[in-house]
Formats: sequence, structure tokens, C-alpha cells
Amino acid sequence: MSAISVATTTITTGRRQLVNVRQQSLLVAKWRALWVMGLFAVIAVCALLRILLLGFFEPAPASRGMADMLLPDRGEIRDRQGVPLARAFNAYALWFNPNALGGGSALVKSPREVANALARIFPDLDVEDIAARLASGKPGYLRRRILPEEANRIHALGEPALEFPRENQRFYPQGSMAAHILGFVGADGHGRVGMEQVFDGQLTDPATRGAPAVLSIDSRVQGALEDELGRGIRETNAKGAAGIVLDVDTGEVMALASLPSFNPNLIDMASTPNIFNRVSNQVYELGSTFKPITVAAAIDAGTVTDLSRRYQSARPIAIGGFQIRDSHSLGASLNVPEALIHSSNIVTAQIADELGSARLNATMRALGMNERPYIELPARGFPLWPKGDWSRITTMTVSYGHGIAVTPLHLASAYAALVNGGIWRPATLRKLDPGQVPQGRRVFKASTSARMRQLLRMIVVDGTGKKADAPGFRIGGKTGSAEKPGAGGYRRSSLVATFAAAFPMDRPRFVVIAMLDEPQGTAATSFQRTAAWNTAPIVGRVVPRVGPLLGVMPDDTRDVDITDLSPLVPGNASE
Amino acid sequence: MNLTRDRLRSAGWALILTICCAVTLALTFRVNAVKSQVRLAERQIVALKREKLFLETEFEARANQQQLKALNDVEFGYEAPKADQYIEGERQLASLGKPRGPGAPAPIRVAAVLPAGEEGSAFPAMVSPLTGKAMAAEVSEDTPRKPASSAGLRDRLTRIDPIVVGKAEATRE
Repeated sequence: MSAISVATTTITTGRRQLVNVRQQSLLVAKWRALWVMGLFAVIAVCALLRILLLGFFEPAPASRGMADMLLPDRGEIRDRQGVPLARAFNAYALWFNPNALGGGSALVKSPREVANALARIFPDLDVEDIAARLASGKPGYLRRRILPEEANRIHALGEPALEFPRENQRFYPQGSMAAHILGFVGADGHGRVGMEQVFDGQLTDPATRGAPAVLSIDSRVQGALEDELGRGIRETNAKGAAGIVLDVDTGEVMALASLPSFNPNLIDMASTPNIFNRVSNQVYELGSTFKPITVAAAIDAGTVTDLSRRYQSARPIAIGGFQIRDSHSLGASLNVPEALIHSSNIVTAQIADELGSARLNATMRALGMNERPYIELPARGFPLWPKGDWSRITTMTVSYGHGIAVTPLHLASAYAALVNGGIWRPATLRKLDPGQVPQGRRVFKASTSARMRQLLRMIVVDGTGKKADAPGFRIGGKTGSAEKPGAGGYRRSSLVATFAAAFPMDRPRFVVIAMLDEPQGTAATSFQRTAAWNTAPIVGRVVPRVGPLLGVMPDDTRDVDITDLSPLVPGNASE
Repeated sequence: MNLTRDRLRSAGWALILTICCAVTLALTFRVNAVKSQVRLAERQIVALKREKLFLETEFEARANQQQLKALNDVEFGYEAPKADQYIEGERQLASLGKPRGPGAPAPIRVAAVLPAGEEGSAFPAMVSPLTGKAMAAEVSEDTPRKPASSAGLRDRLTRIDPIVVGKAEATRE
């Protein structure tokens, strides 16, 4: 019994202790559970935060990374149709790495054999020079830019030392086309000469270089103009040529060519003398192409009110020990349309004399002939402009384009004002939206401009510009063949032949200027040197090629109405 | 059994926490996997875009104006179209399809001789490479054949020149 009671007390104390222990361990367990829960809570919060972080913030840098990766090192330049004219391009270069084989001989074959193999791929390669460079064992570029197929052929040579890394370079897919407009990029990464220089900031700024810089030119028109000017040079053995196609209503340059040209892709291989831009930088005495400007100024000022009035054209005008004469006798007297059709210096000088120096000077100033041409290109020539008040003789010579030397671009802008209703606008190489077209300034009255359209069309229909008359395109224009000044006066044998034209004359849209520098008389030009025989046909071939591209369709049923002036030109009265 | 209700509860909490943790972990992995997939895709996009640019540039260089001119001179000899090759507008186009007016001269018809043994078209029938039948046989006879946009063209012509169309209707009647 006692044993039982002992046992009972033992149990009692044991149970009490047990309860105590149990309580304690329960407390500990609860605390532990609390800790673990807290830990899990922290982890859960962390995970939640991380998910939120991933969900909200992570994708942004990734997408920016892609845009960054696709951002070119230098922005693209495109023409108005979106054709790329210049782009950053990972082109292959040919690099000689003498350590590619890990010591010993740099090449598998002998340097001479490799050089010969390379010369078979690049025919213009200097074998001796390349063999010497391969033998020297110094790393370096063998060629800056090679085509993928050339890279493949080099790879087939099995020379590990010939590497072709892709390097970021400037590439001009159209080659030498529009080279003077585009310019090139120098070794320092900055643009030179053309729009590469003008747009340099925009093309290199990371914020703006993603979007291409758009030019006003149309590559198809540019190609046609360069092609026909090149043909003109070949046919006449001229020193060079220049040409412009200008929108008369906006001043946008559709094409601008200076030949001979250069290839901006090869600019590092040969420094070229052809970088000089004849259109915007070289000034010429453009000769008779100024006559319509003089006549327009006279009509505008009211000194010519009657186009049928006859001026004497038989006797040269002697003034200041100088004689103003015509290239050949044009009869005793001429009226204004006849004077333009036959390009009479004597009559134009008389018209200018009546107009007076102040008014001719003012017109020329209004046409921007006394300042550098308005265009973005950095190379712009300053005209040779007679200073001060013009004397009588200066007025007379300027009236037919002598004693004043301007760029062909000046002439293009002036002709645009002559035919577009009388508004002069600066030329531009940026593509303009309709709202961006500059206001311009009025130089001629609209009525004068309408009259000039008729007169310019008559010159092409009946006069010196006949060879420019492309059927259906209603071209009007004026020839100009100026002798170049040399030592001791003008040189009769070296001419600058210009044809300044606009089309279609019933509603002029574009001015086309073609100029040849020192053309020679050849069989193709019937052994003539003058503009009627060499530059007028160029315009006559360019316009049918570019007209439809620019939205001017040929139409035989339309033309500017010249019936009121036709009777003034004999042999034409029936028309 | 020492599986009391409290214990069960805490075990349950632990289980839930573990599951949550596992789900979180799996989700994180999944997110990372998707992210790296996206990055990979982006890299591929960039590489393809560069390749496209490369090919486009090569194409532009090979098809530049001077090359096209040279090719045209040698191969095709195309010239700019002349004035008589243009049609003024839809009005002139519509007038070409105008029915012959009353008293108008009959159009000139050129005599043609079919080679012996051939009926109908002088050209061999186009045979589908899949079925081996002539293409014309594939179109079921039940479906009405009509030009895709005859109504549209008619509408346009009607709008441009109601007189011509009116005349045409009149002559037909």
C-alpha cells in the first residue's frame, strides 16, 4: 500500500515536473515557430518585393539595351524617297595578323605567292608592295574595305594570318553618285565637305542619330543628271560639268552634280582633286543666260513696254574703249523676242542702258547675286560682283552675263524666280514639308514672270535652244556660251557653255541647269563649242528621263500660249 | 498521440510557408528563364536586323543608279516613255473601253491562222504540278467567275464620267 502511495507521490511530483517541462518546451516551440514564421514572412516579403521589382522595373533596361544595340554609330543620310545614301556599316577590312599562327612563319605559303593570290582577287593591288608588307611581319591593314565575296575568296586561300574583321565604317551604297552633296567622313569620325559636315552634330548625337537625316534630292534624278552630264563631257572632251535640278516653288534641290566626281568610299585611298564643287563653289561668267533676267527687269520696271519695238543690231556699241558686238551679224534691227532668240549682246546692252544701272543692280541684288549662294553646303563661292555704283559699261556687260561671275546655283535660283511668278527663294538640300517652304521675296511681278515663260519657251521653239526641246515636256530656256577670261582678255577658244531651262513652261515646276566647262567641238556636237550644240541637248535628254519621276508627264496637247508673241518673229507668223 | 491541434496548426503553417516559398522560388526561376529567353530573342532580333541591314546595303550597292544604268544599256535599252504612251487619267482610260457608237467604223480585225490540230488557245494549257490537271479544270463550274473588283471599277468610272457610262448603257439597250 505504502509502496503504492510512494509511487503516487512520485507520480504527482513527476507529473508536476512534466507539466512544467511541457509548458516550457511549448513556450520554446511557440517562440521557435514565431521565429520561423517571421523568417518565412521576411523571405516571403523579399520574394514579393523581388517579383514586384522584376515585374515593374526589369524589362525597361533590357529594351533600351536593344535600341542601344541597334543605334548606328553615325546616323543615316537618305534621299527624299528614303533611299539610303550614306550609312554606318560594318564592312569587312583586310587585316594582316602575323601572330595568327602562334609564332614561326606568319604565312603558310611564301609572301610572294600570297601577294599574287591577293592580286588575283584585287586586280588593282600593288603586288610588290603587298609582298614586302607580308614579308616584314608587321600587322596592318592590307585593304580598308572589301566585299563579302572577296572575303570568301580570301578565306579560301587558307591563310589564317589574313583576317577580315568587320569594322564600323561609313558606306555610300550609290558610290560616287551625289558625292559632292554628301561629302565624306574623315578618319577622326567627323564629316567633311558636304552634308556629312552640315549634319555632323545631328548624325553623331545619340539622341538624334537613330532617325535618318533626309535630303531633298531624289537619287533617280541625281543619277540621270550625272549620267547625262557625263555623256556630255565624253562627247565634248570638256574639263568638267555642273548641273542642278531645282524645284521652283520650294527651292528644294532635286539633284546637284559636279563632274568629274569622286568616290567617298575610297576617300582614304586617294586624296582626290575633284572634291571641289563646281555648282556651289566655282564662279563663272555665265554669259547670255543673264539676258532673260535683264529683259525681265526691263519689263518689270516698265522701260520695255512694247516687245515689238526694234533696236538696232547692226553696229557694235563702242563704249569706254570697248566694243560690244554679236557673234555674227543678226540684221539691221531686232525686237525683244528676236534679240533673245538670237541672243544679241548689242540689243540686250541697249535694253540695260535704258533700264539704268541702279535698277539692274537692284534686281541682281534681289536675286542674291551679290552674296554667297544660299545652300547648306559648306563650300560656297563668293561671286565676282562689280563694286560700288555701276558705270554704263558695267551695266551693259552685266546685262549679258559678263563682268559678273556667279555660281550655277545662283543662276538656278534666279531662273526659279523668273518663271515661278517672281518669288525668289533660297535653295535648300533639306526636304521641306509643305508648311516649311520659305516665304521668299518678290523680285518680279507675276505678269513679268508670265511674259518670261513665253519668251523662254520661244527661245527653245525657234531659237538657240532648239536641241533642248523634248517633245511633250514644254521646256523653255536660254543658252549661254561665255568666253573664259584669261591673260590679256577673253580667250575665244575656251568657253563655259550653259543652258538654263525650266519645264513645263505652262506651269513651271523645275529649273534645270546644265553647264560644261571648256567643251571642245567634236563630231558629236557638229564641231561647235557653243551651248546650243552641247548643253541644250543635255537638258533635252535629262528632262524626259527625270520629268515623269518628278510628276511631270509629257503631254503634246499642252503648252504655254505664245500666239501673241509668235507674229513678232518672222517665219513664225503662221503659228 | 502528441499531434495536438496546436501542433497540427503550426505544421500546417509550416507547410503553407514551405509551399509559398517553393512557389516563390519556382516563380523566380520561371521569371528568370523567361527573362533570359527574352534577352536571347532580343539578341537574335538585333543580329537579324543587323544582317538585314547588311544585306540591304549590299543590295543597294549592287543595284545603285550607275549599275542599273550600265545594266539597262547592255541588257534592256529601256527609254523614258513618250508622250503618246501616257493616258491622261481614268476618263481617258474609260474611253478606251467605250462601246462602238452608232455609225462608227468597225474596228480593224487582224486575220489569224491557228496551227493545224490545235483548238482554241495557241498556248499549252497551264497544268497544276500538284493535281496534274489543267488550271482551268480546278475551278469548279458552279462558282461564278468575276473580276475581283469589277464593282469598284465600275463605281469609279461612273463617278468620274457619268455621261460616258450613260451613253454606254443607252447603246446597249
